[in-house]
Amino acid sequence: MPLLLALLLLAVWPRPATAQRVLLRADPATDTIPRRYGPNRNFYQHLYLGYTAVVGAADGPGAPLRYPQSGEVFAGLRNKWRITGATAAGLDARFAYLRYQLRQSSTKQVPTAQPHYRESLGLTQLQLEPFIRLSFGRRGNVIGHYLDVSGWGSWALSSNHSYEDRPGQGQGARTLVREVRPAYLRRWSWGLGARLGTGRYALAGRYRLANTFSSLAPASYPELPRWLLGLEIGVF
Amino acid sequence: MWLGLLAALPAAAQRPVPTVAAPAARYWVAFRDKAGQTLQPATYFDPAAQARRRRQHLPAADSTDFPVRPDYLARVRALTDSVTLVSRWFNAVACRATAAQAAHIRQLPGVRSVEAWPERPLLPARIQRRQPAAVPPADLPAPLSPASLSPAPLSPADLALARRQTAVLGAAGFRQAGQQGQGLRIAVFDVGFRATDTHPAFAHLYRRRAIATTYDFLRRTPDVYRGGSHGTEVLSCLAGQLPDSTFLGLAPAAEFLLARTEQQGSERYAEEEAWLAAAEWADRNGADIINSSLGYTDRRYFPEQMNGRTSLVARAAAMAVRKGILVVNAAGNAGDDPSWRTIGTPADADSVLTVGGLDPDTFLHLPFSSYGPAMGGRLKPNVAAFGVAITAVPGGFERVEGTSFASPLVAGFAACAWQQQRELPVMALFTRLQQAGQLYPYFDYAHGYGLPRAAAFRAAGQPAVLPDSTFDFMVADSAVSVIIRPEAAVVPAYSLPLQATVEPMTDALTAEPTATPPAPLYWQLRDAGGFITRYEVLEVSQRAILRVLLRQIPAGGMLRVHYRGYTASFNAL
Repeated sequence: MPLLLALLLLAVWPRPATAQRVLLRADPATDTIPRRYGPNRNFYQHLYLGYTAVVGAADGPGAPLRYPQSGEVFAGLRNKWRITGATAAGLDARFAYLRYQLRQSSTKQVPTAQPHYRESLGLTQLQLEPFIRLSFGRRGNVIGHYLDVSGWGSWALSSNHSYEDRPGQGQGARTLVREVRPAYLRRWSWGLGARLGTGRYALAGRYRLANTFSSLAPASYPELPRWLLGLEIGVF
Repeated sequence: MWLGLLAALPAAAQRPVPTVAAPAARYWVAFRDKAGQTLQPATYFDPAAQARRRRQHLPAADSTDFPVRPDYLARVRALTDSVTLVSRWFNAVACRATAAQAAHIRQLPGVRSVEAWPERPLLPARIQRRQPAAVPPADLPAPLSPASLSPAPLSPADLALARRQTAVLGAAGFRQAGQQGQGLRIAVFDVGFRATDTHPAFAHLYRRRAIATTYDFLRRTPDVYRGGSHGTEVLSCLAGQLPDSTFLGLAPAAEFLLARTEQQGSERYAEEEAWLAAAEWADRNGADIINSSLGYTDRRYFPEQMNGRTSLVARAAAMAVRKGILVVNAAGNAGDDPSWRTIGTPADADSVLTVGGLDPDTFLHLPFSSYGPAMGGRLKPNVAAFGVAITAVPGGFERVEGTSFASPLVAGFAACAWQQQRELPVMALFTRLQQAGQLYPYFDYAHGYGLPRAAAFRAAGQPAVLPDSTFDFMVADSAVSVIIRPEAAVVPAYSLPLQATVEPMTDALTAEPTATPPAPLYWQLRDAGGFITRYEVLEVSQRAILRVLLRQIPAGGMLRVHYRGYTASFNAL
């Protein structure tokens, strides 16, 4: 009650004239200072996302893949430091989910010869990718046209082998099985990459130098395709 | 083709022509001299161009008008894929060449410099937000051939705006004085003039053959009636006519040169060159005024490069002014873009009359209208006009937003003013146009000197009449207050119209509907160098309108206030 009375008094108490309504206000002393941050300034940071498809076939029989279901979706943060007008260096940090969708055929050997209705190997990765950027043409404070050359490394936060059987075991219509962190999948990976971009769009390609399978995998496992090619979109 | 080229240019045949395996880029090749070149002004220039130079006491021609040396040109042509522009003004050519070819060109005699040429598009200064058409498309008649298109009727509110966009500039005064741009040539550079030749709004121009010449500098053809319709909208703010005979611009009696210098969308190479080529063309064809509702911003430049010297178009615009042409350019629509906010180029050139956009209801800066100053604290925009206007569009008329439309409104004003005082040199006209601004001598970086008014321009030749004081400064202790004088604190009575959106039914020729702007108070703080460090516009609802602490006024600077035509300053100690 006292609080209510105080508010009421405050509301009806005569006050000196308040400031006039400002229709326009500008502070050129501060708002005309050129920004130091931007796509073509010393430092720029933005989010990006994309999809790259697995390209090519395994280097031997036994691991036929389905396309374009086999691929990697990713989202990350890009940090870019301008070196000169035409060159920049950067570091990407991203989450990537790579999936190899295995085609079920009589030749399948990876990870077993057992046929399923649907089967895949998946890796959820944390990746770091330092890059060097070469830009083309003079430009203002925009990304412009560029070619990135990079190296990348990744650590699989999780990996799994999943499959689905139809009909399922017992009375079930289907059975889903997820085998977590199989020993035959290597958790570390690394490789090289390149991007050809204009503005927010880029064609991205990555080549994996590390092997997919660890030393614990049967020697009959063929190496899975090393190329990923796809599209990347900057969020800015 | 190569054989043919070599046969045609024997000098080049002795040089090994590099193969074009590497990607070609654009280069700007500047030459050292024009030795041996001459010009017959009487044959090269249109009579209107000659008359313009005579009026402004300029030489009939100078070395910048002389042609580029043909031997220099031939050597470059022989070494490159193509020459896309030959500029007399800058004694230079733009060409496509590989890096190896460019290196070879650098070694040619007479070549002063070879620079890689930036490649980014020129954007029309029209804001993308488009208000709905006055009449929904569904209400339009079934598709007709363009020639038989009948413009849709405007709503009462749009009709009122169509009248006000010129009335506030003083259309009636100019009209009564017989000043509608007669005898002037206005060049309009834009992205295209689709339907201009068939739109009834321009029929009066074609009837009297007022379209003097046209040229598409991208396709190299006289046909400019393709591409976008932005040019059609801009032209209508100079000379468009509504079915009820209301003119949408102030210069319906002028002659026009229409140049297509910009391709909407994907064109990435030729615009800046095209602007320069069009300016030289406009000069040769006797243009008095160039209206350019275009501007480059962040795709090519940084805000700190808006200094009037960096971009080719700014330098070309400055050269056009040196030839006696008034260049009027839209400020741009980046005012609400935090990454740019300032004017584009060529609006950044000192001698270009840069036009900002005003809200037709408040007569205040529209949020999207780009702010000044240009680099170095130079005043931009110079003046302002309505940034929301009724324009002709293919098939009818439409309310549109953008400083693109403020620019031709002021260009039309300039045409009438120049017709009135035809002997004025271009920069004298420029100064007088600024002096005709409603805020003059006050200015800020949003409005410039404000809306030009015909009455103020007419009075310019006479001794200046000092306005009555409307406020006083009162210093007390640590602050200075601005107190509006009682006689200036009277708010005029306002008569309600019968219907809010309908203008009074008066004679359209003499009516100045709602032409009196509201009277807010403008104030600013300036430092010792004259740079405005802060400015505001206040709604006036009491006489004690402003109180500024003395310590807020920069050392050696001033507090400057404008209210109802009166400007006064309070200087800091």
